[in-house]
Amino acid sequence: MEEFDYEELGLKCGLEIHQQLDTEKKLFCRCPTKLQGTREPDFTVNRKMRPVLGEMGTYDKAMLTEYEKGMGITYEGYNDVVCTYELDDTPPFSCNKEARKVALQIAMLLNANIIEEMHVCRKNYLDGSVPSGFQRTMILGTDGYVTLESSKRIRIDILSLEEEAARKIKTENKTNFFRLDRLGIPLVEVTTKPDINTPNECRECAERIGLLLWSTNVKKVLGSIRQDVNVSIEAGTRIEIKGVQKLGWIPILINHEISRQLKLLEIKEELKKRKLDHKDIPENPIDLTDTLAKTKSNFIVKGIKSGKKLFGINFRGFKGIFGKQLMEDYRFGTEVSGKVKLISGLKGIIHSDEDLNSYNFSNEDVKKIRTKLESKETDCFVLVLGSNKEVDKAMNVLIHRVKFAFKGVPPETRKALENGNTEFLRELHGGARLYPDTDSEAIFNSEEEIKQIRKNLPEYPWVTIKKYSKKYKNEERLIKDLIFTGKLKLFDDLIELYPDNPSLIFTTLLETTTALRREGKNIENITDNDFLEIFNLLKKKEISKEAIEELMKLKADTPEYSIDQIKSKLKIESIAKDELKNLIVEIVNRNSKLIKEKEMRAKGPLMGEVMKKVRGKIDGAIVSKELENSIKEKIRELK
Amino acid sequence: MNEKLKGYRGEGKKILEEHKLEIWDIVQIKTEKTNYEGIILPRIEYSAPNFINIKLENNYNVGIKVSEIQEIKKIGKKEALYKIPEKEFPIDKNLPNLKLFGTGGTIASRLDYTTGAVIPSFTPGELYSSVPELAEICNLECEIVFEILSENMKPDNWQKLAERVVDTANSGIYGIIIGHGTDTMSFTSTALSFMIKDLSIPVVLVGSQRSSDRPSSDAALNLINAAIVAKSDIAEVVVAMLGSSSHDYGLIHRGTLVRKMHSSVRNTFRTINNIPLGMVQNRKIKMFTKDYNKRTKKETELLNNFENKVALIYSYPGIDNDLLNFYIDNGYRGIVIAGTGLGHVSTTIYDSIKRAIQEGITILMTTQTLHGFVGMNVYSTGRELLNFGVIPGANILPEVAYVKLGWVLGQTNNPEEVKELLLKNIAGEFLEREIPIAFNYNIDELLKSKKL
Repeated sequence: MEEFDYEELGLKCGLEIHQQLDTEKKLFCRCPTKLQGTREPDFTVNRKMRPVLGEMGTYDKAMLTEYEKGMGITYEGYNDVVCTYELDDTPPFSCNKEARKVALQIAMLLNANIIEEMHVCRKNYLDGSVPSGFQRTMILGTDGYVTLESSKRIRIDILSLEEEAARKIKTENKTNFFRLDRLGIPLVEVTTKPDINTPNECRECAERIGLLLWSTNVKKVLGSIRQDVNVSIEAGTRIEIKGVQKLGWIPILINHEISRQLKLLEIKEELKKRKLDHKDIPENPIDLTDTLAKTKSNFIVKGIKSGKKLFGINFRGFKGIFGKQLMEDYRFGTEVSGKVKLISGLKGIIHSDEDLNSYNFSNEDVKKIRTKLESKETDCFVLVLGSNKEVDKAMNVLIHRVKFAFKGVPPETRKALENGNTEFLRELHGGARLYPDTDSEAIFNSEEEIKQIRKNLPEYPWVTIKKYSKKYKNEERLIKDLIFTGKLKLFDDLIELYPDNPSLIFTTLLETTTALRREGKNIENITDNDFLEIFNLLKKKEISKEAIEELMKLKADTPEYSIDQIKSKLKIESIAKDELKNLIVEIVNRNSKLIKEKEMRAKGPLMGEVMKKVRGKIDGAIVSKELENSIKEKIRELK
Repeated sequence: MNEKLKGYRGEGKKILEEHKLEIWDIVQIKTEKTNYEGIILPRIEYSAPNFINIKLENNYNVGIKVSEIQEIKKIGKKEALYKIPEKEFPIDKNLPNLKLFGTGGTIASRLDYTTGAVIPSFTPGELYSSVPELAEICNLECEIVFEILSENMKPDNWQKLAERVVDTANSGIYGIIIGHGTDTMSFTSTALSFMIKDLSIPVVLVGSQRSSDRPSSDAALNLINAAIVAKSDIAEVVVAMLGSSSHDYGLIHRGTLVRKMHSSVRNTFRTINNIPLGMVQNRKIKMFTKDYNKRTKKETELLNNFENKVALIYSYPGIDNDLLNFYIDNGYRGIVIAGTGLGHVSTTIYDSIKRAIQEGITILMTTQTLHGFVGMNVYSTGRELLNFGVIPGANILPEVAYVKLGWVLGQTNNPEEVKELLLKNIAGEFLEREIPIAFNYNIDELLKSKKL
């Protein structure tokens, strides 16, 4: 990974972390907060959002763009977890007290100043993910901090309590489909100040806030926490990176973003050096549909036949710019094309810094294009294929983006990708559009309540981690993993039940679980209670520790059976030591030839044979010891 | 109240006055725990007295407890400046001229982002800039008749509105839309139905259940649908509002059979005891029946006299004579009872009913079940009430009966004529027969199974 001198660059990062709370009911209605997965919805409702007039009496641009796409919205719901409130057909009910209490606890752990009288605000959502068109949100804490290992403090700007949006299922026939089960689940948003100055610091800060959140009553499942990172360098601009799913991605994403911004700044300098000006960028693309009527390029022919138009535009002196790499596998051309794709809906653009042969253009074709566009070797031309409307939109975006190359880095919201790169998501909004929710009354966090919650604050997770790590002589990483898999409490319960072997509990909860998940087992089917039952059987010596994995596998596959039933199914019974001895003696006697030949080296194959019969019924270590003694005896006997 | 300290009282008001501060001032506040900077906002009436409202720089609003404020300092002022956009409503000679009357509902409005208040916009230009589709349907004239919340509507508002409708209809306009709050929309539609005789053009009442300042509002679609209905051949007073929770189709309800049936959903309006007249979807009308009045060239007539001394009472177990005696003692001339079941009341109020009728008060019986007919010959209570002189209201809804009784008593004092007019089907309020699906029809399902 590329490293930079972050201080010299003036790197500033901030975090925005969203976390669902694990309350029984939603924030502003009394629906349960249970996600329904792939269950078929009970009903659907079709809506359309209209742009609303903004503060200055004009339409919000982003909203208008969204509206002009002409997308319909279908909401899918379930009668048992969605009510008329989520459908924006009933005003909000009172704010969920349980959610407010968890949020207060988090605010206190973040050393925040608590807002005593909260006002619910509306934040406009343009994409249809909230049926009302706005999210209800309120600020609960300000001016806090979280402390890093180095004792550096990262200031917390605000902590807000808000509603989760609906989950998007698919886009089909110009309609976005959303499921409403997730809508309205209480969510806290923690926003830091841009006090973070290195990628690793950012990762650590995200981790610390995450640990802190997960030490309170929050939903501890995949997707219940989401991170956005703001990145800026002094010479560049502020970029918001959305949807960072793993902590490990953070440093990579930041480094890639720094690279992208530096390279964009290099392009700016290069254009200056080439004495080019943004005023030279042409405004009017040229129709090449007839010019390339006889091309060999199949997809162009096909496109033109289906009524599409081919338009071209020439950027004077731009040779090599579109081909310039900004991040790994990502050129300026990729950047421009990404934005064009998202806004126009086209599949992409073609530019002359690419290998045009890969599109099956003949030299003759290229010549014709160059002539028609008056494009020289030192220029770069770009082609766009689509309907008149699509080409219009695409060329608009293209010209606008190329013009911005003279200014450097456009402020954008970008989406995190798994390879550490990012792609354009939307223009960065000014401030969030927030306005008072006239449907709800002020909500109070009373001094009494605050005092009560402060008395029962959990300890900081990094303190817990140190304590556990010391107590169980284990790596801190494992304790963190327990917290981030939501299993710390289960761990405590298991230790209490079965204090003999803490490392077995670690292995079971972390390694075995991960391994089974990788095998594709649905480990969500194994409940905390199942784990407790397994370790209870172990305690009563009804199973051996080898049987644990097998039991977990079957429970994952057939959750309808209890652990006890699965145990009988597996015919797991504990085997007595005498019985084991008899079995080993029998096997050793049967294999005296092998023992004579290989002496102690015969243990390996024989161990396998014994284990085949006793796996899960007795500890392998006991078997090993018993077998070793037996072989030794046999060797003596044979001599 | 002092506009500069709007909504403030108690300690909040005191601290602002002491520091010579007012709403829209930008202030810095220091408390024990932190510092704030933001704009002082008005407070909602009846909210806690010991807080002040601040809009922070990040646009969030918070309340700050006065007792925690150590310092408060003015550093500027934000003037709220709003301009309502106005684009000229284009005129197309090939499109019909429609009139839109405003009564106080907010069909088109803008949001004041600071207070969350809704600023209504009403000129054709304002409407055009928020619902530009209207210009593809009609040429629009707008007139504000009054600006009141629909719950504050009074009979004299109906009278004034009826007068404007009749004048406008006779002036050659092609159709009329009336923007109206949804709470009492069906009272107004009923009143207009009775007060306007020989209506020659469509009169369409429309409103919205989600205000037009939100992206999910039903206002624009309802307005577009209403404009389509106003160009149709239905020469009746109708209500046109969304027919399902989806932003899909609107239903056209006869003004005397419609009722608001839900406090908040979009498809709150239902035709009771029948199915709606028709629907409007994708700018096309589909009628479910042929039984409606068509456009005529006749002169429309105004009959808007109304007797205000009419009451509507709801029967319940435990009701006693005091209730009716109050109306009798206070000079009321007509009482509608929303009776139980087939049109009953407890025998405990027989005395006051008899007294009322003796004193010349007309009593009209309806049913609180809303659905179905009163049937006063089935049980002895019904027969006894009839015998006292209570008039059975057949299928008419209690609210419709109330409006009709006021209107009838406004037309005549003659008891025989009153009775005759009351029982005469004037504006489609009486049904001869109830179709079996009328009770729990589901338009979505009927459409799906192509039964409409």
